[in-house]
Amino acid sequence: MAIIKIPKTRTAGSDERRRPRDCAGLVAELSDGSPVARRWAARDLAECPDGTAALLERLKQEPDISVREVIFTSLTRIGHFAAVLGLVECLHSEDVALRNEAIDALKQMPDEVAPVMHGMLMDADSDVRIFAVNILESLRHPQVESWLIEVIESDPHVNVCATAVDLLGEVGSSAARQALAHLKGRFPDEPYVQFAADLALRRIDED
Amino acid sequence: MRTDPDAAQTLISDEDFLKFQEFFYRKTGIQFECSKRYFVDKRLVERIEATGSSSFRSYFTMLRFQATGEELQHLTNLMTVNETYFFREEYQFKCLVDSILPELTARRAKGHPIRIWSIPSSSGEEAYSIAIYLLEFWKGLAEWDIEIISSDIDTKILSAARQGFYSARSIQHLPARLLNKYFTHTDDGYQACMDLREAVEFTRVNLTEPADTRSYRDFDIIFCRNLLIYFDELSRKTAAQTFFDAMRPGGFLCLGHSESMSRISSIYKIRKFPEAIVYQKPLESR
Repeated sequence: MAIIKIPKTRTAGSDERRRPRDCAGLVAELSDGSPVARRWAARDLAECPDGTAALLERLKQEPDISVREVIFTSLTRIGHFAAVLGLVECLHSEDVALRNEAIDALKQMPDEVAPVMHGMLMDADSDVRIFAVNILESLRHPQVESWLIEVIESDPHVNVCATAVDLLGEVGSSAARQALAHLKGRFPDEPYVQFAADLALRRIDED
Repeated sequence: MRTDPDAAQTLISDEDFLKFQEFFYRKTGIQFECSKRYFVDKRLVERIEATGSSSFRSYFTMLRFQATGEELQHLTNLMTVNETYFFREEYQFKCLVDSILPELTARRAKGHPIRIWSIPSSSGEEAYSIAIYLLEFWKGLAEWDIEIISSDIDTKILSAARQGFYSARSIQHLPARLLNKYFTHTDDGYQACMDLREAVEFTRVNLTEPADTRSYRDFDIIFCRNLLIYFDELSRKTAAQTFFDAMRPGGFLCLGHSESMSRISSIYKIRKFPEAIVYQKPLESR
């Protein structure tokens, strides 16, 4: 026995492909019984924007976490409007892991998420609005501060505002000063909001 | 450029450091202990000044929200030491021969070689270190065949790896006995002996390109150290998923000491061996 060298990297023992690798074939393979086949189909569908709906549909029922991660990666790579809307829809799910993965994916798509951010921040469900603020936490976009200001100026829910003001404490500039003062007036009986707004104002003044 | 430690300390407060430490860990998986405070502060001050930021706070905001991510990449490069040498992070090779291989061979029927993938190859130090370690310290080599494949995106560096010429700095951590056994002294350094060079297959691969990696299958152990820290989040996830498909169930993935798969993907199992923490594709997965 020894360290041996083979002339060419060995591929899989047998060709497991049972369907064509075009978009329709890959979509069909998303329902294959083997998670290996589903993972490869999900990965290759990143090159097929037309497969977005199928990826989103599969996401709702996919039991294998490794396939699910690949689906999220492919949707992020596709990145067009339908993919973003599908990921936003996941924020309404009761499945915590699915929601968190969707938040992580959306954080990586600043330009694509920007057009729908206002809608997320206006969602009827306050939890979804909090998730939207969570996305802002590391969304690489120049409008982050103005979105946060929009939240603390108008959102009626104290928890949404508290999440936003926390983040403003880290990234807010003098542009947020007036909105922070206004927020204190909107929630005079909420000690946490008072504390967080004062902290944010102090940090802005220190700059 | 202001570099004296006092200046750095006045600019980066304890609170700033903690915020940066948490953020940088979340983004890169690199955890800076407080003992690294001077190292971190010095580099932060350097970048704050180089970018014309008025304070840590304004720099930190730019770091977090810059659309291109260029500054984070710049800072990451500055915070990491980009060099390779023989027996770098040797504890992982000890883990390979003392823990990983005994576990793998205990559950494996003989007849199929154990396959190891080292990526990125760079100039070959890691792959050759693995070969030396196996030849010297793994008795199982008497009973098992091993394949070592080492890949890189850069064809020039692959060519250099195949030739196996190294500087004195590159081999400085090799014990003299091993240096004499596996290398010949040349005019301007050392060359790996033919046996060692023939032990490793070098191939060109772009890790983020599925067409390149599709045929890389059935690996038992993958070494991918100090590469993912240079990738953006999406590329890191893609690499983690590529390795998952490239490995046999129960295969092991070794990352650099400052890298953490837990921050990238949840599909791997964390294995704490006495020598090192490595990541495992669950045995029951396919």
